Amino acid sequence: MSGVDLVTVTIDERELRVPKGSGMVEAALAAGIEIPVFCYEPRLGPPVGACRMCLCEVEGIPKPQAACTLTAQDGMVLRTAATSALAKDGQEAVLEFILLNHPLDCPDCDKGGECPLQDLTFRYGPGSTRMHFSKRTFDKPIPISPLIALDRERCILCYRCTRFSEGVSEDGQLVALERGADSFIATFEDEPYRAHFSGNVVELCPVGALTSTAYRFKARPWEIQNVPTVCGQCPVGCNTWISTREGKVVRILSRNHPEVDEGWICDKGRFAYGHLDAEDRISEPLRRIRRHGFEPVTFAEAAQETARALRAAGSSVAVAFSGTETVEEAEAMARIAREALGSDRAILPDDPHPALDAWRAPLSAIRNAEVCLVLGDHPVIERAPAVDLWLRSARRAGAEIITVGPTGSVQTLPGSAPAVAAELASGSVPEELREASRRLRKATRVALVWSEDDPTGGRPIAALASALRLGDGSGVYWIPSTPNGRGVAAAWHAAGAGRETTPPPPEAELGALIVSGDRAAADPVVLALAERADFVLTSAMFMSQVAGWSHILWPGSAYLERAGTTVNLEGRPQRQHPAVGGPEFHELALLAAIGAHLGLAVDAWPSFESSDEHAPLPARGKAVPVPVTPTPMPAGSEEGLALVTYESLFSGLSVERTPTLAFQLTEAEVELARADALAGGISTGDTVVVSSNGSATELRARINQRLKTGVVRIPADHAHGLGQRVEVRKP
Amino acid sequence: MSPQPLESLKGFGVTLRSVFKKPITQQYPDFKRPVYPRFRGRHRLHRHDNGLEKCVGCSLCAAACPSDCIRVVPAENDSADRNSPGERYARIYEINMSRCIFCGYCELACPFDAITLGNEFEISEYSRDDLIYTKDMLLEPPVKRVPTADAELYDMPEPVWKTDS
Amino acid sequence: MTDDSTPELRPLLFAHAQDADLTKIDAYERAGGYASLRKALTSDREELLEQFLASGLRGRGGAGFPMGRKASFLPKPDQTTKPIYLAVNADESEPGTFKDREIMFRLPHALIEGVLIASYAIGAEIAFIYLRGEYLREYEIVRDALDQARARGLVGANVLGSGYSVDIVLHRGAGAYICGEETGLLESLEGKRGQPRSKPPFPAISGLYAAPTLINNVETLATLPAIIAMGGEEYAAIGTESSTGTRVFSLSGNVARGGNYELELGTTLRTLIYDIGGGIPNGRRLKAVIPGGSSVPVLDASEIDTTLDFDEMAKAGSMLGSGAVIVIDDRACMVQLGLRVAQFYQHESCGKCTPCREGTRWMVQLLEKLEVGEASQGELDLLLDVCDRILGKCLCPLGDAAAMPIASYVAKFRDEYQRHIEEGGCPFGGESSLEGVMAPVAQHHRDQRSAIEVPA
Repeated sequence: MSGVDLVTVTIDERELRVPKGSGMVEAALAAGIEIPVFCYEPRLGPPVGACRMCLCEVEGIPKPQAACTLTAQDGMVLRTAATSALAKDGQEAVLEFILLNHPLDCPDCDKGGECPLQDLTFRYGPGSTRMHFSKRTFDKPIPISPLIALDRERCILCYRCTRFSEGVSEDGQLVALERGADSFIATFEDEPYRAHFSGNVVELCPVGALTSTAYRFKARPWEIQNVPTVCGQCPVGCNTWISTREGKVVRILSRNHPEVDEGWICDKGRFAYGHLDAEDRISEPLRRIRRHGFEPVTFAEAAQETARALRAAGSSVAVAFSGTETVEEAEAMARIAREALGSDRAILPDDPHPALDAWRAPLSAIRNAEVCLVLGDHPVIERAPAVDLWLRSARRAGAEIITVGPTGSVQTLPGSAPAVAAELASGSVPEELREASRRLRKATRVALVWSEDDPTGGRPIAALASALRLGDGSGVYWIPSTPNGRGVAAAWHAAGAGRETTPPPPEAELGALIVSGDRAAADPVVLALAERADFVLTSAMFMSQVAGWSHILWPGSAYLERAGTTVNLEGRPQRQHPAVGGPEFHELALLAAIGAHLGLAVDAWPSFESSDEHAPLPARGKAVPVPVTPTPMPAGSEEGLALVTYESLFSGLSVERTPTLAFQLTEAEVELARADALAGGISTGDTVVVSSNGSATELRARINQRLKTGVVRIPADHAHGLGQRVEVRKP
Repeated sequence: MSPQPLESLKGFGVTLRSVFKKPITQQYPDFKRPVYPRFRGRHRLHRHDNGLEKCVGCSLCAAACPSDCIRVVPAENDSADRNSPGERYARIYEINMSRCIFCGYCELACPFDAITLGNEFEISEYSRDDLIYTKDMLLEPPVKRVPTADAELYDMPEPVWKTDS
Repeated sequence: MTDDSTPELRPLLFAHAQDADLTKIDAYERAGGYASLRKALTSDREELLEQFLASGLRGRGGAGFPMGRKASFLPKPDQTTKPIYLAVNADESEPGTFKDREIMFRLPHALIEGVLIASYAIGAEIAFIYLRGEYLREYEIVRDALDQARARGLVGANVLGSGYSVDIVLHRGAGAYICGEETGLLESLEGKRGQPRSKPPFPAISGLYAAPTLINNVETLATLPAIIAMGGEEYAAIGTESSTGTRVFSLSGNVARGGNYELELGTTLRTLIYDIGGGIPNGRRLKAVIPGGSSVPVLDASEIDTTLDFDEMAKAGSMLGSGAVIVIDDRACMVQLGLRVAQFYQHESCGKCTPCREGTRWMVQLLEKLEVGEASQGELDLLLDVCDRILGKCLCPLGDAAAMPIASYVAKFRDEYQRHIEEGGCPFGGESSLEGVMAPVAQHHRDQRSAIEVPA
């Protein structure tokens, strides 16, 4: 620990050596002494000292001090309630005051059994109340959104929720109103709490004031089993605990990986598990008998038929991946295709450029960056929500955040990210990028974030990192479009012994097509291939057109039902463990059986032990210089407006089948720049017709002040059939 | 050991005498010995005077149970058609009598005196499934009755559910 | 208002206020105004800070912290990359206090001059005046005075050609006593909820927008021109050793001639109440005196020979506080007084820390019960225990300001509280002078109906 100043502090007559300036609550904890807290939560920013639960005696100061606000100074002598009458009196007083108007709700309250207020009252509080007046009452519970219920009577006004809403997710939707004893928590302007991270306040709340409606009255802490796993909804891979009761998922909590998610989960990861019990789920293996009819088939038969078809197809086989498979599954399919059948044809949803590994860094390093550059058309919060939180915390810590894109601090046309990266790398930049270029070159700790779909797998950002000669304090974060895109691509390439991959063109006539996952099944290219292929094996959770063309339809498992490894956007392999049982046989079992038929030894079960460890980040790869590829900027056009679409976080199969998340589904909206709206006589709320080469759709207009003039943005769900340039006018 | 004819005769004497003594066996089921008032037997779920169930489905009984034989699945009360006075009620309440050890911890744990152990012990069944008592069965007063000793003779505090609503 | 012929009065601030309308800048300058500023602008900053220290000037807002020492806590302009600010606490809300109002009403330029001198001494870029929202007339007067000063080149870029630039921003509060607490004021100025911050860090290091900030009371700053004019040591020669100079005392309550009086510190309460204030009218007797605003413990009639001095008041078990002397005669019920004071603190509590938020409401509930005669003996003891449980445990001094006075009313007038219990009602039988002075707003049990429309 070179360079760290250690000081001596004494807590309850125990001498400790701790780094200067460390929080006293942590220092005490390190010595095994508990200082009870409510409002103290280091992830929410500097301590506020509001609840007064942590009152301790500091030698030399007559009044008790809030230990959470104290930092270790040399020679500090602290006494907690264990050794100081002053501190004990303070602690009892505070607990008495908190409980004064707290309702006797414990049997009804969902927090019971895992409630810090219950625990601390048992340990340090009064046995009975001296308050014989009526307690203050509120209407309760109040839903503040379909996901969260607020019970104002139980609230102890620790302000954790408002501090999260203001200072972490920065949506400013939870506020405290009124003053003093009349204070209560509300939403801003009484609007429902609609945000990407709203669910975190349920975990933060130390009492049962903010509770999850989805978990309401489902189970008690002693009735659930917690399984550690990693979320499979986006490429971040937040670490989670899945609480299950009687074989069903009842809730998802954070498992706090300090480098990846810091204890926060987005609402999709937290609530979108309704697809596990959806009625329209494919529940057993099926074989096609007629044009669109299916009959059940046994595991052995399915494996046999598939192996037969694959052998017949030989190297005319292609695999369409979804990017949601585990590494083990992808590896199995890759080996079947490449080793056993000699085919190098695959559709990989993401394929990172190999040079990116040279700047591998944990997401937590973003917070320490001096400059963060975000390039790409795809809003980071929709694709990898945790990264958005890290960027905000970097900004609060003093970093400069430069976003380049249609809604960025530097506004550009859609599709310009590669060109901008090339310009910044070469150093010859237009006026609007001059400041950005200067800051990037001056800073020693840089974070580059690439949130764009490009077929080169992020080569422009690798070239930029190479040109800037980024060192150890910097990192490059390439955001894939799928949760395990990185892992799948790595597994595929590893099985190929260095051979190139050829994506099959849509008109190819294949001997066999393996469609893995619902995302691949929704791809129009895959549909075209499926219509022409001689044999199609599809593994999916729900029916689709591609599934209808399959010869063998295998019930897919959700990420909560399988064991396997996933690699997140950092390049960190993490383990998923099954929380609940899914279909009787997993995909891996089927693949192992198929492999066996083809003479390949594939493990039907991943070979790692179940554990709740926080996976480490592998070391960086060797730096390989990446030349800059000159890329022209997309040309503006006089005709119409440029359309940019994005996949909203709250879209997809799991969200659609979770009723409590229905309110988060994207609106049928088109975002317009102010100037374009004014030119068309359009205001926010008007219904407009958006059209391009033949197809048209009616959407509601919304003016986005930050959108570049000449660009419109529509969520991908509502932009079907629209081309790159569109016309927007009132009907 | 050498044979002891005198001792054997003494033993036979005891046997002979016992043959003619009146047995102290209580012939159950013709004679049913009264149980003490606090005897822990079959459980009962109680209602308030106004008909609402006392049980709010808080699951503390399940937590206290050493044999893990209580299953509680709560649900939200519909204010128009409520089952219990609180925000929640027990939608499913099952006790597996074959596991229950009749310790009475559930009665002690219940904050609302909703569950008590009555005096019925005649609950044998022919199948284990029938021994899983559901909420409806527990809410109903038990069918058979065993005689209970006079409560006046024993020091028994009046349970709250008898005196309070 | 102030009778210059009375020997005990020592007008220093209000020296020429009777002769002319000093809200006009011409009159103010003719009376010698802004001469101290001119003198200060040519002095060395360190020298000015020395003068402040030498004067022994203690904060006139309530805490009484030595002003010179507080100013010396700030980093020098070359020691910090952050801008330095001055904040003026014009949020006069301590019950019984109306001296700052008088100063802003009649001597706005003295305040402005003091602000400029202090700003220059610490190297401030901007000075913010946080003015109590209810003082609308005073706001208009200060705003006009600022305009006049700007027009004369006294405020803004290159003040009087000295090369020093400072701007003064006048900001109105919105009705919160807690915004008179220094960090509550800074939070409110930043546009946030006016809830105090925990200290350290102190405003001198991290204040407004986390920059070094000196925050002082109106009267404190308005005294600076006089100090610079006469020199710090001369100022220190007035008053007493621990409490130098003069102070404006707001006399109110059951007294013949209430009002603002500028006195030399060290004068006795007796002099102020009887000689200057004209004593208790209508033949009543003095019962109690609150010497420094409702936040300080009460003194009874036997203690009025205590001098108006910071240290002496502390020795007597009270505080000089904001200099608001409230006189209470024998018609007033001390339980009603306690209740009214407690209602104020419950209403003004910001709600951030638990003991103050819950404790002030509980005290009101207990005092209400006491007043109507329904309380038991145990509940009176409980009231004292609640005061004790609030004391020292809160985030800011408001909790102490609520608990200490109530505890002192019970301690000094215990028999009156006992009679409420024993007689089952107020012994004044509705005739107390405080009858009907209770807070008009229901203090608790407010059901908040939710209007949040949540999509299905």
